[in-house]
Amino acid sequence: MSIAQSDHSAHPSSSRTFGKNATEALADRQLHGALHRATSLFGERRGAAISTVDDWEGLRELASSIKDDTARHLDRYLEQFVAAAEAAGAKVHWARDGAEACRIVAGIAEERGARKVVKSKSMVSEEIHLNPALMAEGLDVIETDLGEYIIQLAGETPSHIVAPAIHKTKGQIAALFEKALDMPPTDDVAVLTQTAREVLRRHFATAELGISGVNFGVAETGSILILENEGNARLTTSLPRTHVALMGIEKLIPRFADLETFLRLLPRSGTGQQITAYQSIITGVKPTPEGEGPEELHIVLLDNGRTRMLAHPLTRQTLWCIRCGACLNVCPVYQQVGGHAYGSVYPGPIGAIVTPQLIGIEEAAQLPFASTLCGACRDVCPVRIDIPQILLHLRSKVVEEAPPTAARPPMERLSFRLYTALMSRPRLLGWAARLGRVAQRAMLGKRAAIGEDAGVAGKVGPVGAWTGGRDMKTLAPKSFRDQWVEGVGDKPSRGGKQ
Amino acid sequence: MNPSMSAREEMMRAIREGLARSAEIEARHPLQVATPPPRRPTGVALPILGDGAAPEAGAPAAPAPSPLAAFRARMEAVGGRVAEVADEAEAAGLVAAVLTELGARTLAVTDSPLAQRIAARTGELGGAELVPDPSADQLFPCDAGITEAQWGIAETGTLVLASAHERNRLASLVPPVHVALLSASRIVGTIGDALAAAREPVAGVPSHVITFITGPSRTSDIELTLAIGVHGPQVLLVVILP
Repeated sequence: MSIAQSDHSAHPSSSRTFGKNATEALADRQLHGALHRATSLFGERRGAAISTVDDWEGLRELASSIKDDTARHLDRYLEQFVAAAEAAGAKVHWARDGAEACRIVAGIAEERGARKVVKSKSMVSEEIHLNPALMAEGLDVIETDLGEYIIQLAGETPSHIVAPAIHKTKGQIAALFEKALDMPPTDDVAVLTQTAREVLRRHFATAELGISGVNFGVAETGSILILENEGNARLTTSLPRTHVALMGIEKLIPRFADLETFLRLLPRSGTGQQITAYQSIITGVKPTPEGEGPEELHIVLLDNGRTRMLAHPLTRQTLWCIRCGACLNVCPVYQQVGGHAYGSVYPGPIGAIVTPQLIGIEEAAQLPFASTLCGACRDVCPVRIDIPQILLHLRSKVVEEAPPTAARPPMERLSFRLYTALMSRPRLLGWAARLGRVAQRAMLGKRAAIGEDAGVAGKVGPVGAWTGGRDMKTLAPKSFRDQWVEGVGDKPSRGGKQ
Repeated sequence: MNPSMSAREEMMRAIREGLARSAEIEARHPLQVATPPPRRPTGVALPILGDGAAPEAGAPAAPAPSPLAAFRARMEAVGGRVAEVADEAEAAGLVAAVLTELGARTLAVTDSPLAQRIAARTGELGGAELVPDPSADQLFPCDAGITEAQWGIAETGTLVLASAHERNRLASLVPPVHVALLSASRIVGTIGDALAAAREPVAGVPSHVITFITGPSRTSDIELTLAIGVHGPQVLLVVILP
């Protein structure tokens, strides 16, 4: 099968080259404007939406504890889900990795003689690169979420979890539509939207297969819940004869009643809405032929690295994620470089912890470092994933396991070894400090004597990457240790046992 | 992948092994991950009306709005049209007037007796040509669809449609105008109330699809500019009967 080969052509930038991607993104002024508008607007809307909840923190805590319980007993909830879904008439498939999931979906399409597939938005389908796999089998695959449709026409990948085409201006979209859909030029968003509606309706009317993602799977009832605003997921899951739902195994929640908690949490965190326009709760297939909807429902359960995350109490938290994208909007790194720089399907703070665990630490060794560890992501996360702690955990794994890369240059390792040696030998530290004071006097003159900061030193030789962006602190004319020995100031009595 | 095991066996084994390993780590480092004790939140604020401004300190708390008023305010805030009528005759007159205003000539009607009665009167008023209980193919050319909504949710201004009660999945979705008939007595307080009601089977048959609808179809995918009616209905009219 041609699945694996198509992966990289779809990603012009790779997660191996975050540093380079980021530098390029920083130079893109148009991208900057789009990111600034989008992330600040999402932030404002989220703030307004959560203010309508009396006890937002209590809601986060509850959601976090539900997700923690789910992850801790994932085996039992998964078996419960499968039994209930099958009892309601769904067919459940198990996929260990992306290639296996793609083969399953392609097989379902082939058995039914499907030629046209309509898709609603699904991050998992991006993760497993489903579209190129199905297209290689000769299927016509049409993304129907407006943002996804735009980036499919452009041959790009999503740059934000909930707003995939956030990086594009309406002028660029108009030019795209003009070329692909043969329509007159316009910069009217309503006209562009209407055009997409009409084009996509024809596809909905004729597709044999509909593919969706899943926001939540209910273990108790075997139900799947899909949230959206456009109505394309309703059309995708209602009109074609066969519905395939792709679901990461972490999407489970234990009870039907738990949906209330997550329906209050996800729209507010994702788009800043109190609720999205539509929720579809689908339990199996229609019980009688006169009912409405597909004749078959296939649920594809995907592992693709998720079970590995269960093996540590910290990384296990990664599986709590409900893909709201709130951490992207508050992240000072995402705000500057956007989603494509991460070179991975999942961008931003959540991408920086998910990606290395999904595709392997050596493939994404730079991503755990693409963070200032400011903690804003942890503070907005609706299920309270401790993203900074997981980033630190993954950083230590990079240092321990991954071969030397740009993420951990040899100079850095040497510096840390020297630092360790100095800090664990007081006499050596004292001598080094004295030497440093002499050296800085030569470099800074009088400024050093009055303890003024030296400012950014610029790129200094082999440690340029460090010094190029940091204020250098001058060493005090006399160290604390020296002052202590000399007995300056109001130091406490050194009596007692000494 | 291990070719001698099925995907199901291998995934379940990987889950159990992973859980065992993390339990071991937790036993050795019990403080490494602090899990907060579960706590039920006190709930969602109602009213959720107007600009969300906090009341002035010392001002008497505003009386909580009725479920109907809360539903109406939330639905209108997201662009849904809401009308309260006294009886079925008034409902039909209103629907006929709105269809005329929108230039809608064909009206898809579900298998609900209430929707059929009101649609028939609407037709008599010259409001529309009726397409009773249509198939998907028949629905595409329809200008409007009329359905019941089995419940309303005051908390969010949401309509709840359940397949065990009515074949309203497509008539509420495919035509560009959706007219939903809702009984005021069926407006419940919270999402949880609606979930509990909607999961109840009808004559032993559960709903295989439950749909929540809050306003017309919308998107902000182009420069975060709001556009109404991208895939689902462009107009949502909620007619509230006593």
